[in-house]
Amino acid sequence: MPSSLAKDELEGPVVFAKEAGLLQGTLELLVLKTLSWGPMHGYGIASWIETATDDVLRVEEGSLYPALYRMTRKGWIGGKWGTTENNRRAKYYHLTSEGRRQFVEQTSGWQRFASAVNQAVASTRAPSWAR
Amino acid sequence: MRLQLPWRGRRPFERAPQAEVEDEIRFHVEERVREYVARGMDPAAARAAALERLGDLGSVRSECTQLLAEDRLAEARRTWFDDLKHDLRFGIRSAVRTPLFSLLAITTLALGIGANAAVFGVVKSVLLNALPFGDADRLVRIYARMEDGSMERSSISAGVTMDVRERQHSFAQLATFFQGVIDVTYAGDATPRVVKAAMVGEGFFPTLRVSAARGRTLTDADTKTGAPNVAMLSWPAWQREFGGSASAVGTSVRIDGDSYEIVGVLPRGFVGPMGSAEIWMPLDIGPALRDPVRARKQHWLAMIGRLAPTTTREMAEREIVRVGADIAREHPESQGGMALWAIPLRDDMVGDTRTPLLVLMASAGLVLVIACANLAGALLSRSLSRRKEFAVRIALGAGHGRLVRQLLTESMVLAIAGGAAGLALATLGLHALRQLALRALPAYADLALDPLAVLVTTAITLVTGIAFGVVPALSVGRGNTQAVLRDENRGTSESRPTRRLRGLLVAGQIALCVSLLAGAGLLVRSLWAMATAPLGFDPNGVLTVAVQVPSNAYNQNDVRARFFERLEERLRTLPGVSSVSSTGELPAPSMNRNGLSIEGVTWPAGQGEPFIAYESVSDDYFKTLRIPLREGRTFGPQDRPGSTRTIVISEAMARRYWPKGGAIGARIKLGPNEVMPWMEVIGIVGDVRADPARVQPEPMTYASSRQDPWGMRTLLLRTSGDPLALAKPVQRELAALDPAFAMHDAKLLDDIMSDRLAGRRLPVVLMIAFGALALVLASVGVYAMFASMAAAREREFGVRVALGSSRAAIAGLVLRQGGIWMLVGLAAGVVGTVFVSRSIGELLYSVRPFDPIALGAAAVILCLCATAALLVPVRRATKADPIAVLR
Repeated sequence: MPSSLAKDELEGPVVFAKEAGLLQGTLELLVLKTLSWGPMHGYGIASWIETATDDVLRVEEGSLYPALYRMTRKGWIGGKWGTTENNRRAKYYHLTSEGRRQFVEQTSGWQRFASAVNQAVASTRAPSWAR
Repeated sequence: MRLQLPWRGRRPFERAPQAEVEDEIRFHVEERVREYVARGMDPAAARAAALERLGDLGSVRSECTQLLAEDRLAEARRTWFDDLKHDLRFGIRSAVRTPLFSLLAITTLALGIGANAAVFGVVKSVLLNALPFGDADRLVRIYARMEDGSMERSSISAGVTMDVRERQHSFAQLATFFQGVIDVTYAGDATPRVVKAAMVGEGFFPTLRVSAARGRTLTDADTKTGAPNVAMLSWPAWQREFGGSASAVGTSVRIDGDSYEIVGVLPRGFVGPMGSAEIWMPLDIGPALRDPVRARKQHWLAMIGRLAPTTTREMAEREIVRVGADIAREHPESQGGMALWAIPLRDDMVGDTRTPLLVLMASAGLVLVIACANLAGALLSRSLSRRKEFAVRIALGAGHGRLVRQLLTESMVLAIAGGAAGLALATLGLHALRQLALRALPAYADLALDPLAVLVTTAITLVTGIAFGVVPALSVGRGNTQAVLRDENRGTSESRPTRRLRGLLVAGQIALCVSLLAGAGLLVRSLWAMATAPLGFDPNGVLTVAVQVPSNAYNQNDVRARFFERLEERLRTLPGVSSVSSTGELPAPSMNRNGLSIEGVTWPAGQGEPFIAYESVSDDYFKTLRIPLREGRTFGPQDRPGSTRTIVISEAMARRYWPKGGAIGARIKLGPNEVMPWMEVIGIVGDVRADPARVQPEPMTYASSRQDPWGMRTLLLRTSGDPLALAKPVQRELAALDPAFAMHDAKLLDDIMSDRLAGRRLPVVLMIAFGALALVLASVGVYAMFASMAAAREREFGVRVALGSSRAAIAGLVLRQGGIWMLVGLAAGVVGTVFVSRSIGELLYSVRPFDPIALGAAAVILCLCATAALLVPVRRATKADPIAVLR
């Protein structure tokens, strides 16, 4: 292990475990969000999610790739081989029209979900049984 | 990050899923390692860390690989159907966009498939379908023939049938029956009607292996003298008379005035070897056998044998010939000059239809070949003109398989349309044939479309389509794509080998067409000769009415004779009738014949007496039919029943037996009866061609109906007006004299005679139809060849015009290029004509196989059509605009 980097920093809190069924959908939403900026390869997707969440969320890469293939299978995204700036071949994913529709739908769903959870968590009104 | 072309000229999914997943993960790990190294890690540690972040690499890999494989499978399936849809749409669109080509292809296919399927339907129903008997291929018909060739398919005497039964060892069973059908008056509940009846003797139904649909069949016991009167009904008669009711069996009906019990109904579609009949009655040959003269001298029976399991047809045929020779040796007085022979029943029943049918089959095959050649030519030039399109698509990454699939789909679109049209055409054709061929085909033939024939012909045309539509397109290989693309002019024009191939196709078409037309021409000339050669009598304006005499009330000859005299007397008074007479038999290809003896003449030993057609006619017969009297007199009132028997002979008869003259006054006997009185020849009349399909008139003899009145008579009425308008008045007069007489449909003698030619007319009409088809197809072929040739060289012609070439010179150029192939075709056609005329030789009548008129007409018609077909393209070639072309 290199000394300059904490183990903690490398691994971070693993949010999207394979087993975490609830959050599988969230990973897909984040992939959709990433690709809504334009075509990107798997590594780029993982990096962008980390950057966008200020490194709060770290993608478990073991689930990212199966998720990408599943989304391809569902027809939300498509993959094509292309060349990176460094002239390396990489598989670029892009949103299909179905993917774009899913993205819009899931985003609003997530926002309703998040604000509902947020509202509950931030509530200051005690329930009757606590009074 | 900018995207470049995702795949250049490569199929999107050419890597195995596993490799692709591997690549993707490797890229990911390497990027991660680069990142870590950039952040200061040493490479080995960075790599380990990157791998660790991926977790269980093996399971990630396998999960991704599986997902990708599934995805690709689904994708491939989707693509295939998308492609098919696209190809179909493209195929239909390109078919619509080139309507002339599509119309040509579809019509060509339709004509080829239609003609073949229809004709094969006929051939199959006649030559291949089963006869309506059990195991019919083991059945053999036994005939007698005169060794002088005068009679080929003669019936045999009752005595001979017994001899054959006793001496043969080849047959398991034998059937004896009356060789024709007879007219009987049938009375159920309604008024008497004349119907056809068959008389069957010993072993008939067991030999043919036919069982009754209702009740039972006739047995040998029914044919014994003194057995009760029983009869069977045919299926149609049962339906008509009893509405198909089961109670018909056991019912009593009156046949010729006597009561018969119906014991059974024959199966649907049953047709006897003697033809179709409505009533089937047992035949008792006992009385004939007991009469010493009739037993051997009256030849009226037919026999069919079923081969024993161990005998072959050849063995049976040899045995029958041997038995016949033995009988002839033992009974020289009755069997001299007569031989027995056998023929498979099917060959016998197919009869004269075999040759015309095979000729037709061959003609239809030729039409199919022409159609295929046409299609091939059209597809060839179309595929070539699309080479550039294919080259472009290959350059853009389309695979060969993809192109082939598209072409196949396009061919399919055309083939399906053509096939559907062909089926419709075949159905129509068969319908027309059914009308046309009713009398010309054997009675058992049931014309139906044959699915196998349709399939085979469709397959042949499809293969042609593929061979000439797909293969040339494939010649745009990977190697020469660029050449095709770059070569702007020659890419669309025809190369020398393809031009030669097209030329050969057209030459072949012309050759086949000439042969067909020549064949049709020869047949037309034959038919024309048959129809126009004088018959020796004038059937025009003559009404014929067959009348059945009720046998029980009129079994006395003089009663019968008096009745007809009175009837003819009354009919003569009908308005418009100029002449009335009656005859026992109308002139027909097979007439009643009797053995001839001439006073003072002994026939050479071993030759036997000749059999001469014999008719009983009333006085005005010759006048009514306008048969000219050459010498002596015809019958008059002096030829009474009691007076000297008199006879009138034909010129051919006089020529053959009295070549030096002196026929008048000669005395002859006709018929088996030894005690029959001599008959004196009183007159010689003109010859009559009783069989219009034969050139040479046969010797004929006529007796006076007063002296030999037959039980069945046909009235002949000559009128200046519409003969058929007389039918009702004749019926009235007949009923007024005796309502018990039954009358057949009144017919025009003209119609009867032309019906006799129906069998001859069928192949002629069809051959003309095929000739016309071939002509149309070949003309289209010529047109297409010249058109594509002119189009391909349009630029060249433009240049030539610009350089000062005249229009005529250009027209000459086009004509020279195509004309050579037309000449080749015509020359080959002459060779083909040799084969055609040889194969239809036996259908020809007073026309030589190399009739210059028929052959010349065929060539001229073809040249005219070809010229018409090439005028348009040649004109267009001469109109080549140098400015437009060069720009």
